[in-house]
Amino acid sequence: MTTYDAIVIGAGAGGGIAAGVLAEAGKTVLLLERGAALSFEEIGRDHLRNQRLSQYGNNTGPDGMGHARVFEDTGGLSLIPPHDGRYHNNAASVGGGTRVYGAQAWRFMPQDFRMASLYGVPSGSSLADWPISYDDLAPSYERAEWELGVCGSAEAMQHLPAYARPYPMPPMSTNLQGRTFRQGAARLGWATTPVPLLINSTMYNNRPACIACQHCVGFACPVDAKNGTKNTMIARALHTGRCTLISNAMVEHLLVSNGRVVGVAYYADTNERIEVLADVVIVSGGAIESARLLLNSSSPQEPNGLGNQHDQVGRHLQGHYYPGAVGLFEEPVQDNVGPGVTTATCQFNHGNADVIGGGMLADDFIVLPITFWKRKLPPDLPRWGAAAKAFMRENYRRVADISGPVHEIPSAEARVTVSSQVRDRYGIPVAHLSGTTHPETVRTAAFMHQRAKEWLTAAGAIKVWGGVPTLALSGGQHQAGTCRMGDDPQTSVVDRWGRVHGHDNVFVMDGSVHVTNGGFNPALTIMALAFRAAEHLVQHW
Amino acid sequence: MLSLQQIEILQALVNRLIPPDEDVGGWEAGVGEYLFRQFETDLKHLLPLYLSGLDGLDKEAQFLHHQPFAQLSPELQDDLLTQIEAGRVSSMWLVEPRLFFRLAAEHCAEGYYSDPGQGGNKGGVSWTMIGFQVRG
Repeated sequence: MTTYDAIVIGAGAGGGIAAGVLAEAGKTVLLLERGAALSFEEIGRDHLRNQRLSQYGNNTGPDGMGHARVFEDTGGLSLIPPHDGRYHNNAASVGGGTRVYGAQAWRFMPQDFRMASLYGVPSGSSLADWPISYDDLAPSYERAEWELGVCGSAEAMQHLPAYARPYPMPPMSTNLQGRTFRQGAARLGWATTPVPLLINSTMYNNRPACIACQHCVGFACPVDAKNGTKNTMIARALHTGRCTLISNAMVEHLLVSNGRVVGVAYYADTNERIEVLADVVIVSGGAIESARLLLNSSSPQEPNGLGNQHDQVGRHLQGHYYPGAVGLFEEPVQDNVGPGVTTATCQFNHGNADVIGGGMLADDFIVLPITFWKRKLPPDLPRWGAAAKAFMRENYRRVADISGPVHEIPSAEARVTVSSQVRDRYGIPVAHLSGTTHPETVRTAAFMHQRAKEWLTAAGAIKVWGGVPTLALSGGQHQAGTCRMGDDPQTSVVDRWGRVHGHDNVFVMDGSVHVTNGGFNPALTIMALAFRAAEHLVQHW
Repeated sequence: MLSLQQIEILQALVNRLIPPDEDVGGWEAGVGEYLFRQFETDLKHLLPLYLSGLDGLDKEAQFLHHQPFAQLSPELQDDLLTQIEAGRVSSMWLVEPRLFFRLAAEHCAEGYYSDPGQGGNKGGVSWTMIGFQVRG
């Protein structure tokens, strides 16, 4: 039987970086990915089946009831296919979500690591401080920005401490909606920043600059200018000759011998069950699948799941509420220049009266026509007939929206467990999602909704619409929190280096370890934490 | 699948949900083809609802105007659809009229505004209409 130095489970934002760091440090790595290695052509441009609008399916998996989940709310239990919003899917492919993401490259703010200290803990919430600070993570943010490639303006990031090193690429050029919103923010006296993106604004790492197409978020890049893990750290891992990547490989559970993890069992695409041994196992399946995997890895020593002696695995599931608003302008504000998102304000991430935390607000990616139809029409417009058609014709280019992720207030009851009834196509118990985030999140979302409306109006919108998100379970593509990082094994799953409490050779490197999820897109934080944890691991091998 | 009569009703319905004006209507843009493809795949489970809904439209037209739905003037068709959208029907329906109408309107928009690879939006006509120009 082949033995590896390390097995990394999941080739997404976290696992791709872990594999790259370990392989370049001389370790032999088996990188297992449940999804496929997909080309640009295979991902395609299906406007109804992509990672932005999954009306009938996904373009980067998973698909079909063979990968179902159980969703529980006040209405009872439902069996959910992957393209249903209640599934809280993230892409399953080599590169994970980074294959098709919008690639926003935000650092969390220093305050985001100290939410409980800053705001107190609301009754019924599991709000907590991180065991590490912004300063601890800043060097790893910088490494992620340079290794993968981020464009942006460090000087404009006035909400953060000064950068030790600027971004490797200047910001993307601003499109018409961005100029419109910058003028609006100036009228309000709000500071704005170009949105930092893991996209090449100039040639970088021997790949070309973005061509400003409109199929960015939810799709793969036609010129390979979007920097995910597949075309950066995974490519580098493979280049060492020490990393073996196996796609369509679904891990059943970790192999435990006398309480110690010795490897994993997985199903290959042939449905053959394979056991493989390693000194170290790194779990990077995303917040839902990583929790599911640990819970499915029970042993006589840990009958409730690996790392779950204190019933913490799977709890605090969070993502991002996305309050926002849509505005109609007299003149066109869309000029078909992608990727679209250009301009943000971090004016309201913290320091707001009467609400906990806040969030970043930004303009949107190019909204594809059918997505516009489904999500951006005014609620008083008939959805058929001459009026609906005329609105599309006259106003598709006159509408723009502002929205952004709210720093969620977590609840221990928002959680992943494993189903006792339902198994996936491999026979592995599926994830069961239940609970909601804490209601304080809704109050913060309502506050941010008002700010979005203000910005639209100041930018010249003649009509503004949109509602406040209602209380629900969160997760989705920004899923986080289920294997919380902390110093106390009673209230956390991994330590500050991502190591599962009670295990010297098992790590979690993905959004699961986030104590809270910031008021920002979390991808760069997942990457920075993976760099930090993987570097520490090889230094202390 | 659909009878010839049901296809006629569907064509008339599609052309009121997305009517021809200075830009092509839903049927000419290929929304029918989109629906026929979907009836064999993602919307297969809704085919019985569609068949009953289309029959319901015709029964309603016969009851109110003594003519098949497809033969009514666009104005009368719109009036009738407005009633159905609100759930006000005079004849016996085997499906929930509002549900049928809401789904049909949404599916027709999917065919008309999504990518031409789905069978509708032939030649990108709706994208040209709204000013969505694909680059790259």
